[in-house]
Amino acid sequence: MPRMSMKLTTALVASTLFAGAAYAADTYGPFPVTVKGYAGDKTNSVAYSGQIARHVLLDSLKKLASQGDGGANAAEVEAAMLSYFNGSEGDLDIIAPATKGDFVIKQTTLADLSKGKNISDKSYDGAMPAWPGDLTGREVLAHMITQAAQSEGGYDAANGYDWAQLISKFTMGAMAYNQAVDNYLDEKLEAGTNPNGKPYKDGAPYTGKEHVWDEAYGYFGAATHSLGLSAEDNYNIAKQKNLAVADANGDGVVDLKTEFVFGPAYYAASADKSGKTTYMTDIITAFIEGRKLITSAQGEDLTEEQRTQLQAYAATIEENWEKVLAEATFKYAGSVYNDIRKIGEAADDDARAKAYRAYVKHWGELKGFAMALQSGKNNLGRTAVHLNRLIGYGPVTLDETIVSGIDADGNFVRDRKLSWSSYQLNMLRVQEQLLNAFGIEARANDATAELAGLVESLNTDGGAETD
Amino acid sequence: MEYLDQIAAIFSDFINPKKRIFVGYLLLSVLIALVFLVVIRKSSTKGAFGAIFDRKILFSRSSIADYKIFMINQVITMLVSPLLLTQIAIATAVFFFLHRFEFVASGQFEQTNSAVVVGLFSVTLFVVDDLTKYLLHRWMHRFPILWSIHKVHHSATTMTPITVYRVHPLEAVLYASRGTLAQGPVVALFLFLFGSTVSLATVVGVNVLVFAFHVTGSNLRHSHVQIGYWRWLERLLISPAQHQIHHSVAEQHHDRNFGAALAIWDWMFGTLHLSEKQELEFGLGGKSGAEGDLKVLYLQPFLDIARIGRRIVMRPFQRLRSDG
Repeated sequence: MPRMSMKLTTALVASTLFAGAAYAADTYGPFPVTVKGYAGDKTNSVAYSGQIARHVLLDSLKKLASQGDGGANAAEVEAAMLSYFNGSEGDLDIIAPATKGDFVIKQTTLADLSKGKNISDKSYDGAMPAWPGDLTGREVLAHMITQAAQSEGGYDAANGYDWAQLISKFTMGAMAYNQAVDNYLDEKLEAGTNPNGKPYKDGAPYTGKEHVWDEAYGYFGAATHSLGLSAEDNYNIAKQKNLAVADANGDGVVDLKTEFVFGPAYYAASADKSGKTTYMTDIITAFIEGRKLITSAQGEDLTEEQRTQLQAYAATIEENWEKVLAEATFKYAGSVYNDIRKIGEAADDDARAKAYRAYVKHWGELKGFAMALQSGKNNLGRTAVHLNRLIGYGPVTLDETIVSGIDADGNFVRDRKLSWSSYQLNMLRVQEQLLNAFGIEARANDATAELAGLVESLNTDGGAETD
Repeated sequence: MEYLDQIAAIFSDFINPKKRIFVGYLLLSVLIALVFLVVIRKSSTKGAFGAIFDRKILFSRSSIADYKIFMINQVITMLVSPLLLTQIAIATAVFFFLHRFEFVASGQFEQTNSAVVVGLFSVTLFVVDDLTKYLLHRWMHRFPILWSIHKVHHSATTMTPITVYRVHPLEAVLYASRGTLAQGPVVALFLFLFGSTVSLATVVGVNVLVFAFHVTGSNLRHSHVQIGYWRWLERLLISPAQHQIHHSVAEQHHDRNFGAALAIWDWMFGTLHLSEKQELEFGLGGKSGAEGDLKVLYLQPFLDIARIGRRIVMRPFQRLRSDG
């Protein structure tokens, strides 16, 4: 028996190594240094630790959003949150993702990743009509942070806000998605910007275009070996559930720089788990192919043809990323729809409060993603207007009122009435809008899926059968 | 290869348990007819076989036309059905609409025993389907424009199970739309009230009640085997003999027995005619020959509709002239 298992182990190890070799080409890097005249000793030109640091700032900010005790510690919590949002002179602890059981995280402070980074400077600063008060995206985030600090545990039951969810989901769009698709994969791919014939900055081991591309990849938040993993595995890495698949180099710890899956990529994997979509594969493949293309230029400026090809990869990334956000919005609209049903069915006050809490959480995710979707390169036009009108500034609250704006003192006003069923209808319409505008396919929590299934199951013979 | 697939598609109804002419139902119908003829009518087995597979019926001009129409209509259905309003569209619209009512919430009765919900849903669907079939069928006879279309079905002078397909394509469209309009709202209403508890009680993928209708010889309605039920049962369910009366040319049989499976609608609305043992002549009467002429069968309804339409449009003018 022992010998048997010995053989088995050997076979397993051998096949794992073999499989590893076969998949080697499917990782994002390492890519060789191509900068002309580079004098350093680096052999890998891939670098995006600044973006990883920003994902970590966001995850930590999300944790802090639920530290308020209802007002007494508001100033303190707000200061802490702002140090992550605006960055800090000194080093900051990594609050999340932190070691969880055997899922040991290699880095413990921000300085282990990249110094001097912040979220606010990289946040979408255009109009954000989805939120009351005529604010830009960046100002909305600041407003949310203030509100979170004053709340109790990040939860505002009266107005129906879950600040941790709102802040984290919106930032996933306002920062990561916006920076990637509206900056790095957009104007920074122009010929005159960050040319490939020069180092990104003096002495850097990477060219302008190499680094621009890497930073965009960094914002997507996938691990370098994500492409070789199943959607399930990628999902489990983000959930810190599976050390074995995360720890690509087998050193027993998870390196946030290369081995972790952050928000945007996590939601791509989440949709792909349905088996109906391949967002993660399509996005990472485009990133890797694009990077290969840049590397193949060997430190020369890209030709027009090469740049056109690169922009095509960028378009693939953008299109799929937008769909990922639309899928997430769709999913949470379905959750909100179901939550309203559960609130109605609750047997007692306790159950009702619990159901309402889940509803507010899901609404925060819905709203955050709907806003994220509006932070990209495309002007969504009437789709955005309709989504914002249907979702509202807040969810229907327990007294069937809904936030209608902000008063002069910056407090939320709820002088609009809306019934639960009307709001459910709004959620159905949100799903309908998203389906029509983005043609999404995973469609988790599809509120009309059962309807489709039922219709499918019907006997539709009657047609030609006349008597 | 694609060519073969299309030919297979034309005949796919024979292997689809959702369709009346599914080979299993056809075999059961033959069995029922055999037992009926041998046990009740005291016929010899050979005689019974001879009556069921009567060459004069199976290969009459009328029946051969049925077979051709069957194939032509299958092709037309394949082309037209994607253009029709889908059930899912109706169901979704109604489902959305139901959210406008404040006195009832979605999933309000989700806790109801699932067997009750499944039973209620299957029965409601069957009853609503059957009632709307009755109504549409009655209208097909009542209104001249619709009758000009439905006449194609009634022009059959001999009947076989394939006669169910002897309908003008416009009638097929009307019946398909009826199904959509009747079933869509039922599905939406049940899902709205009972949530995910709703499902259909099925056998081989078919509503158990539709299945019961088919395994008890629904194919014999279009045949020459005159199976009648007890008088009380013929007030509840339409027997094959009752439907054959519906196809009879005799004047006293006109506009009787419009029902599909249930006889209660005919009973309620005074159109019921119980079966009796008698020789029936099928068809429209009049001169023979038209029952096998495909050109007439497909085109005449359009000509009739144009004629009727013109008359309706011209009527006010004619009145003016006569008044003047």
